[in-house]
Amino acid sequence: MRTNIIIAGVGGQGVVTAGLLLSEAATIRGMHVVMSEIHGLAQRGGSVSVDVRIGEVYGSIIGNGDADLIIGFEPIETMRAIARASNKTRVIMNSEKITPVSLSMHDKEYPNNAILTGMADKSIEIREINAVALAKKAGSYKSVNTVIIGAAIGLGILPFEREDMLSALKNRFSGKLYDINRDALEYGMEGILANQSASSS
Amino acid sequence: MIEMSGLNDLLTNEPGKKLFLLGNEAIARGAIEAGVRVATTYPGTPSSEVGNVLSELAKKAGLYFQFSVNEKVAIEVAYSSAISGLRSFVFMKHVGLNVAADPLMSIAYTGVRAGLVVMSADDPSMFSSQNEQDNRNYSEIAHIPLIEPSNSQEAKDFLRYAFEISEMEHIPVLFRTTTRVSHQRGMVELGDIEKKDAVGFFKSDPANFVALPVNSMGLKEKLVKKMERLKTVSEGSKLNRIETYGSGKYGIITSGEAYNVMMDTVSKYGLDVSVLKLGFTNPLPEEMISKFLREHGNVIVVEELDPFLETRVRMIAQMHSIGTKIFGKLDGYFTFSHEYNPDTVAGSLSRIMGFDTRQVSVEIDATALPPRPPVLCPGCPHRATYYAVKRAVKMSNIKNPVYSSDIGCYSLGVYDPYNEADVMIEMGSSIGVGGGFSNATDQKVISFIGDSTFFHSGIPGIINAVHNASNVILIVMDNRTTAMTGQQSNPGMNVNGMGDPAPEVSIEAIVRAIGVQYVKTVDPYDLKSTLLAVSGALRENGVSVIVARRECAMIRDDRMRSKKEWKTFQVNPEKCKLCMNCVEKFSCPAIFIEGGKIEIDQNICDGCGVCAEPYVCPFKAIEEVQTA
Repeated sequence: MRTNIIIAGVGGQGVVTAGLLLSEAATIRGMHVVMSEIHGLAQRGGSVSVDVRIGEVYGSIIGNGDADLIIGFEPIETMRAIARASNKTRVIMNSEKITPVSLSMHDKEYPNNAILTGMADKSIEIREINAVALAKKAGSYKSVNTVIIGAAIGLGILPFEREDMLSALKNRFSGKLYDINRDALEYGMEGILANQSASSS
Repeated sequence: MIEMSGLNDLLTNEPGKKLFLLGNEAIARGAIEAGVRVATTYPGTPSSEVGNVLSELAKKAGLYFQFSVNEKVAIEVAYSSAISGLRSFVFMKHVGLNVAADPLMSIAYTGVRAGLVVMSADDPSMFSSQNEQDNRNYSEIAHIPLIEPSNSQEAKDFLRYAFEISEMEHIPVLFRTTTRVSHQRGMVELGDIEKKDAVGFFKSDPANFVALPVNSMGLKEKLVKKMERLKTVSEGSKLNRIETYGSGKYGIITSGEAYNVMMDTVSKYGLDVSVLKLGFTNPLPEEMISKFLREHGNVIVVEELDPFLETRVRMIAQMHSIGTKIFGKLDGYFTFSHEYNPDTVAGSLSRIMGFDTRQVSVEIDATALPPRPPVLCPGCPHRATYYAVKRAVKMSNIKNPVYSSDIGCYSLGVYDPYNEADVMIEMGSSIGVGGGFSNATDQKVISFIGDSTFFHSGIPGIINAVHNASNVILIVMDNRTTAMTGQQSNPGMNVNGMGDPAPEVSIEAIVRAIGVQYVKTVDPYDLKSTLLAVSGALRENGVSVIVARRECAMIRDDRMRSKKEWKTFQVNPEKCKLCMNCVEKFSCPAIFIEGGKIEIDQNICDGCGVCAEPYVCPFKAIEEVQTA
């Protein structure tokens, strides 16, 4: 058994923290986990992706077509990660747009989501969630990654349960911060089930 | 920071306890377990976290830690500690070992008393480096042992072993990781912590420690004999092992991260292979390898970058007259470039072993997506400096200026719209290279260097430029930290690697002492003053220096957040004339266009306010957000 997860986003969004939380929940379940954590050149604003591999694995790199789940923190970055997906890969996409400087400096605007998601093979299903709104509802923009993790748990595609993630959150947050993250997790779980898939809408 | 929350766990003396550790954290733990008393480094990714952890834990762990001025000095400090009887650990990125290569070659001759391990974190695929040199070759040039771990557990365990080898033959040991090993997280079972002396004593022995030719002649012969004896140790080492999968038809020899990607391929396709996994790679276990070659008709060498193992395996086959067919890079099956991944390794293995690889990727043209290369952060003072310099050059009507850049976050000035890096080679090169342009051309030369890089290796270049009457404008981008590698301290700061108060070394005093006449210090957030200082320098001859001093935005952000002094800016659409200067020329990641209007992303804006200055927004359309 093996679960390969790609988490993709923009530096500063909490991509690495999301990877740590998924890893921690899996280790709480007693599973073997390997995670890549490459920061590259920039601290904030560049593309960032983290590979989390759970189960019978050696290295941290997920091969092309071998991703079981892509967690996209941002639409353009989600599509970039889809280049490593197969038509069996499940995709969750946060709808929060962060315009790359490469567009703004040439007076261009962010492409609309339909154009972006239309770039991929029609066979791949992309489930969209407005994680920023739900994170703010939970009490903090910074809980955006917990909302998205909640969405993945809601779809039932992680090899561990909600309780394992709550334990992982408890290990990292206390008091009010834990409450915010616990709510964020719930909102994410509910939110993804309420949404139609972006590619079929 | 979440990643650091469990840092104190690294000090726990509970053998058997398991922690989920980054390779570099496991290495720091390995140093603590080995009873290291002195640890030194110059920060460089992918090695940086080792220093961040040890700096944080040094006092509690009872060890001395230093962010040295550069790698050469780091290795010198660790060396004198090791010959005073204290286990010492020095670590750096691969190109850092070039800086430290001079002492390394000669301390191999003199040897050490207590263990000395030199770690090189190599960077295949150059995630954060200017090249991807394979530093295993240094072990051959220096005649020192080489150890290569594959994962976090091995990183910790093998480091302890490296200290044992070092003390066995009183020789420095090269410990080589790569980005994927240093930056891979995995479960690590802790061992016990060794107790070692805290204070050393140096017993003089000039015949051994003064590398005059008369002494070095004999030391070289002793060194060769040490490596001869270590061959036997490598033969019996637990770091070199054989694993068999299926019928084990093909033999594979591998080490480091290549083992991981190769094994993922073996398990994905169910390949029948016998794997000789090497962790002690100089001296190689010659008998073990020749036996392995004899037992297999076909042997494949899987390793990243140079054919370091392959050339030696082929040599062993030749010396032992073994006719086994050997596959690797030299016959074109594997590449010399970039890190391997499950796809490239599966491709190479399938060509040799004849199986079908399954490629089931989704069809998408990722090249059509807008790129998002690394950028200067919102609020980064370097953006303001680059903006002002570019304006000053334009206003002064300078044709064909040459921008000589250096290593740091500010290397990103190469990108649009700044384009203020025409050449960038290595740490401290901007001024030496700049001086060369001044000799070779009539063009105006502007060199950029960061504060940490200035101290690291920039100063000799300035002395050279002044003494040889070069015409160079040097802009020191002093953001009060070693930013790119994660905000480590440097000699320009009032704190050292132990977290103790330290004297600040003045950049201005240094350049004045060298003889620079035009020295100006500006706050880059003040665009007008910066512009005037650069314009003034453009009228000067000789070497002029502008210190653009303003702390790194990430440090400022943390402080403002904790003080709750956070503010942000927004665009007033009534005043905005859509001149596009802010997006086209200033290009902060927080400023974007939506629905034909300029907007500022409130989640990203860090409130520096530089975009609100009339030099960026002549219409005063960018205003501070007033909170009720």
